[in-house]
Amino acid sequence: MGKTNTGAPRLWPGRTAIRAAWRRKGWEPVAYLYIAPALALILTFSVFSMAVSFWMSLHDWDPLLGAGRFVGLDNYGRVLGGQDSVFWIALRNTSLYVATVLAGILLTALPLAMLCRKARYLQGLFRTVYFLPSITPGVVVALVFYQLYGVWGKLLDNGGTALPAIALMGIWSASGYDMLLFLAGLNEIPQEYYEAARMDGAGAWAEFRNITLPMLRNTLAFVTVMTIIGAYQVFAAVYIMTQGGPEHSTTVLAFDIFVNAFSVAGQMGYASAAAWLLFLIIGVFVFLQMRLLKTKSLFE
Amino acid sequence: MKILSLKRRLRAGLASLLALMVMGIGAVVMVYPYVYMVGGSLKTRSEFATDRPAILPPRFEPSRLFQRFVVGRKDPDYDQQLKEWPLQRNYADAITFGHIDRFVCNSFLYAFVITAISLVVNVMAAYAFARMRFPGRDLLFGMLLMTMMIPSTVLLIPQFLLIQRLGLVDHPLGVVLPAFADAFGIFLLRQFFISIPTDLESAARVDGCSRGGILRHVIVPLSKPVLITLGLFTFMAAWNAFEWPLVVLSNQDLYPLTVGLALFRDQNTQDWPRVFAASVLGSVPLIALFYAAQRYLVSGITLSGIKG
Repeated sequence: MGKTNTGAPRLWPGRTAIRAAWRRKGWEPVAYLYIAPALALILTFSVFSMAVSFWMSLHDWDPLLGAGRFVGLDNYGRVLGGQDSVFWIALRNTSLYVATVLAGILLTALPLAMLCRKARYLQGLFRTVYFLPSITPGVVVALVFYQLYGVWGKLLDNGGTALPAIALMGIWSASGYDMLLFLAGLNEIPQEYYEAARMDGAGAWAEFRNITLPMLRNTLAFVTVMTIIGAYQVFAAVYIMTQGGPEHSTTVLAFDIFVNAFSVAGQMGYASAAAWLLFLIIGVFVFLQMRLLKTKSLFE
Repeated sequence: MKILSLKRRLRAGLASLLALMVMGIGAVVMVYPYVYMVGGSLKTRSEFATDRPAILPPRFEPSRLFQRFVVGRKDPDYDQQLKEWPLQRNYADAITFGHIDRFVCNSFLYAFVITAISLVVNVMAAYAFARMRFPGRDLLFGMLLMTMMIPSTVLLIPQFLLIQRLGLVDHPLGVVLPAFADAFGIFLLRQFFISIPTDLESAARVDGCSRGGILRHVIVPLSKPVLITLGLFTFMAAWNAFEWPLVVLSNQDLYPLTVGLALFRDQNTQDWPRVFAASVLGSVPLIALFYAAQRYLVSGITLSGIKG
């Protein structure tokens, strides 16, 4: 084969030549073997799945028949403006939930972490106890709080208190872990900064405002992003405790999507459109948040 | 001078005391639901219905326990009550009727397989991204980071259809397959691998060690803490997974603990002590595992790539 090619421009430089070129640049082809399993899985179950989801959102999908009729952006229209669509209610509930949980976590986890450092004794015990909810299945937590809220005055039966009650549970189960994250962040702040500030006569608030907060920027950004992403997907709590009721007061997006996709026949395309809208909303939040905190370094 | 330092020490001591108090209140808030759960699992059905606000069943009332066992006063009624302790009933019911033991085994199996395989897959990918040069590396790694932002709710429907096409609905493999690779894990490991000095690797290379050999004999042993941390977090996430197994499985024999508990609740809406007993049985294994591995965790959290 090689001989017939002489004279004509060679498109295939030959194996040895390619190997030499790779070696010269320090490239290692074996790397592809190392990343192949992870890449194949992530391409299939994330990237390709996203594409499938988008394609489905443009179709009137029937899970039994497989493919369905192309309907363009109809599903999006139905999600946003349909008669029986609860998307806006679900979006409102989810956003309220996210805001409450985020505020609750930031207002408890960070002060607790600072207090934990102040406490001279029992720090180990506190870490252990505050970590407990993170290693308890969310389903178990939801079952126990379901009963506790029943005892405390039927909080879940009332449209006005059901969502805050679920949010309170969300704060309870996440703030301990976030406290540990903040504790780790606080431990990395050089003590000299505080000593220097004290020399200059800075008060506690000034120290917090000018040293602690800026130094914790990345931890804050991490906790905020992860809380937003996690809270927007709240599902198990609603499924176990209220099933979206009373009167849709706790219908969150993940639950609405789940119900439409797997409980109502022939609504998978509609549910996919709602899922894509959820994705866009989270994307905007994460983007804005990263801009706000200027944390490009977060993932570097 | 002396007085001033005394004043300062007093103030610091006061601050510490105040911190202790607030942290203590917080700790009570954290523990209370667990006490309520354990207490509820020890009640009879009627006790649960009438004394729902009580944390502990009446027979564990501290004053009565004190009278009976410390003071030693005879109380045949009380002895009878203690004999009818429903511990056995609730917990036995959770296993015989609720099959909580099977669900726990299933959860262990799923979580173990996911953790073992995803660690291998993630370590290999992370090592390549950390140490090797190849065309498209940064692009692929960027794409990987982007997938971390995709909410699992969005992926639920297409992943279900994929698993359906693969014929893995109602199959254990369908539960675990999508979790075998984890972008966050790869990111975390890569951060750690980069921080390992390259000298060690160069020495191994000079000695004729291959890439695979370096990974196995140099990198992995040095990364034990981060591997244990990531393994525990993966295990925890797999153990807590609810929505995905709920969607993929309809055969109750294959249910993991989370879905099994939800099912058991639906079957026992009038028998909460049973449900609480099942919940206790379901939360103990993971808590035990974590406290066995706790000393790795504290260092692991600081290692998780977040610069303070």
